[in-house]
Amino acid sequence: MHFIIERDALLKPLQMVSGAIERRHTLPILSNVLLDVTADQIALTGTDLEIELVAHAFPQQVITPGRVTIPAKKLLDICRSLPESSVLTLHLQGENCVVSTGKSKFTLATLSANDYPNLESWQGEVEFELSRLQLRKLLDDTAFSMANQDVRYYLNGLLFEVDNGTLRTVATDGHRLALSSMELPVTANQQKQVIIPRKGVLELMRLLVADDQLIRLSIGQNHIRLIDSQFSFSSKLIDGRFPDYRRVLPRNSSRQLTAHRAVLKDACVRASILSNEKYRGVRFTLNPQELQIVANNPEHEQAEEVIEVEYNGDTLEIGFNVGYVLDVLNTLNTDLVVMHLSDANSSSLVEGVGNAGALYVVMPMRL
Amino acid sequence: MRKIIHIDMDCFFAAVEMRDNPAWRQVPLAIGGSRTERGVISTCNYPARAFGVRSAMPTGQAFKLCPQLVLVPGNMEKYKAVSTSIQAIFHRYTDKVEPLSLDEAYLDVSECDLFQGSATRIAEHIRQTIFQETGLTASAGVAPNKFLAKIASDENKPDGMFVIPPEQVSGFVAHLQLRKIPGVGQKTAEKLAKFGLHRCSDVQNADLTLLVREFGSFAEVLLERSQGIDHRAVHTDRERKSVAVEQTFSQDLNKPEQGLQPLADMYQKLLRRIERCGAQEHIHKVGIKLKFQDFHQTTIERQHPELCFQLLQQLLTQAWLRGQGKAVRLVGIHVGLKSQAEQAQLDLDWQ
Repeated sequence: MHFIIERDALLKPLQMVSGAIERRHTLPILSNVLLDVTADQIALTGTDLEIELVAHAFPQQVITPGRVTIPAKKLLDICRSLPESSVLTLHLQGENCVVSTGKSKFTLATLSANDYPNLESWQGEVEFELSRLQLRKLLDDTAFSMANQDVRYYLNGLLFEVDNGTLRTVATDGHRLALSSMELPVTANQQKQVIIPRKGVLELMRLLVADDQLIRLSIGQNHIRLIDSQFSFSSKLIDGRFPDYRRVLPRNSSRQLTAHRAVLKDACVRASILSNEKYRGVRFTLNPQELQIVANNPEHEQAEEVIEVEYNGDTLEIGFNVGYVLDVLNTLNTDLVVMHLSDANSSSLVEGVGNAGALYVVMPMRL
Repeated sequence: MRKIIHIDMDCFFAAVEMRDNPAWRQVPLAIGGSRTERGVISTCNYPARAFGVRSAMPTGQAFKLCPQLVLVPGNMEKYKAVSTSIQAIFHRYTDKVEPLSLDEAYLDVSECDLFQGSATRIAEHIRQTIFQETGLTASAGVAPNKFLAKIASDENKPDGMFVIPPEQVSGFVAHLQLRKIPGVGQKTAEKLAKFGLHRCSDVQNADLTLLVREFGSFAEVLLERSQGIDHRAVHTDRERKSVAVEQTFSQDLNKPEQGLQPLADMYQKLLRRIERCGAQEHIHKVGIKLKFQDFHQTTIERQHPELCFQLLQQLLTQAWLRGQGKAVRLVGIHVGLKSQAEQAQLDLDWQ
């Protein structure tokens, strides 16, 4: 293997795939990036056995094609710290890969490309196209509600549902739930529910640009793949049953409060300063045309905010983790938001006025 | 009614230095910053106190009172290490320990069932244990609340203790100098004296409006303390994370079957203990600990919302296998509890 490439042409795809590569792994080869050099391009692959990222680089010149794996983080650090205009030569010499440019020369250890693990091959059962922007919105709307390292392993990911022309993402950590959906005419008559692991979702959000370019999604029994013009992303799926989100969407909320999102958000941000740092509880008191938000901390300090809202019900006191409320208000982008509430122990449904698609359920805190 | 113990190490820093250098026992000794550095005395021993040397006194003044004073700069690392072992002793009796400083702590022993729950005997045992294990003496105060316990620990200092049983509280406070109430310093005491208030009984009989006018919000505290009332709980920074029971056997056990009866007994004991601290609703883990004959130990924990004997049996068998035939000297069982935040936050109900 021997090729010449501009630093920037290598750096970008290398950064893309290194998201999947752990710096230290019990399997040393998983700290490496696979370089597959053909006549006119290089395929770079990174994997942690759960997700696999492939990106392409275009060299100035390929002298000898070949395949090898080299330490990803080290190659990335070398590329990053070289001047922008550098032109690199990568040359496999025996067991080592020599990276050289100008008066710099780095000799890296390699491991055989034949030992690099692939995700097993699989068949797509549902395939369709959508724009990068559409997928990004679904992820942005919901990913923040995913659980993290929960024993209920199926919550540590994002539900991806194709349901007769509707594409839906759902995330929950057991205390709050986020749901977003969009119409997708081409998938009519197809049904599929899969859970993408948390790490894969976060990687996708890192990689996906928000523009109109089309991407192709393919979902199989145990895998999902996304083909973008810049990269391809594959992930194993979480084998588990995601809770039925339909059961937790409150249906008959008796109270409805409409507020300016920015006003409510700013009041919550200020109140949260004096909420208990650990529990983050705040008390919402709903009165006709008025919402009072009160926070207390263990030092007996108190924050009190009163904002004007549209509300005609009787008085209700309800506690919330202000972090959960702010997550929703930060994600919505409408001017007005509506909270549908029943009582102090029942879930609250939050949505943006005019923002079709995203719904949020937040469970209260006992005060 | 709570049972509170206040433990106060006797001239702690000086005591540690005297322990490690017995020649200093008989001479006036102080720990503190030097005269040239305009230092102050942080602690001194009783011979030094006989000359009038006191904590927080400028070192220069201390030398005027006692020219032969031996001044030691102090070794905070050492004191911290000793303090850690003393804290560890406290935790053998209760988890409700509120450290006030390196040498002082409140213990709430209301739920401690050692010595038939006698706080007096617990306190005496703690003092003995501290002496046996660190070579240092402590004084203890035992009372139904923090403020009285703190005053009590000062009554028979050094190396003594004083008990204020609930029925003697009113008699005790009646004669108590107001100056002894934490928060009543020299200035407040002088002001109280101006109104003829010297003892707690004076405040009990004082005009409430005068107290509030003159002392503001402190009047409420003053009034409560004068009646021997103090509702403050012993604050452990760390909330209770688990409830546990364990047993070391007089003879090591060779087979898991031998562990079943002790396990059943501990199960009952743990159930009662969980109930006593009202933790039934907050269980989220159940676990077991085994210590083998070679003192190697192993623990297994499972997520589970209640203490369940069958699960304990399973865990016992599993843990036993890890010993690969080694005899077992100790079995412990515990439940892990949800944090307060986890308790307050309600769950989505998708069942």
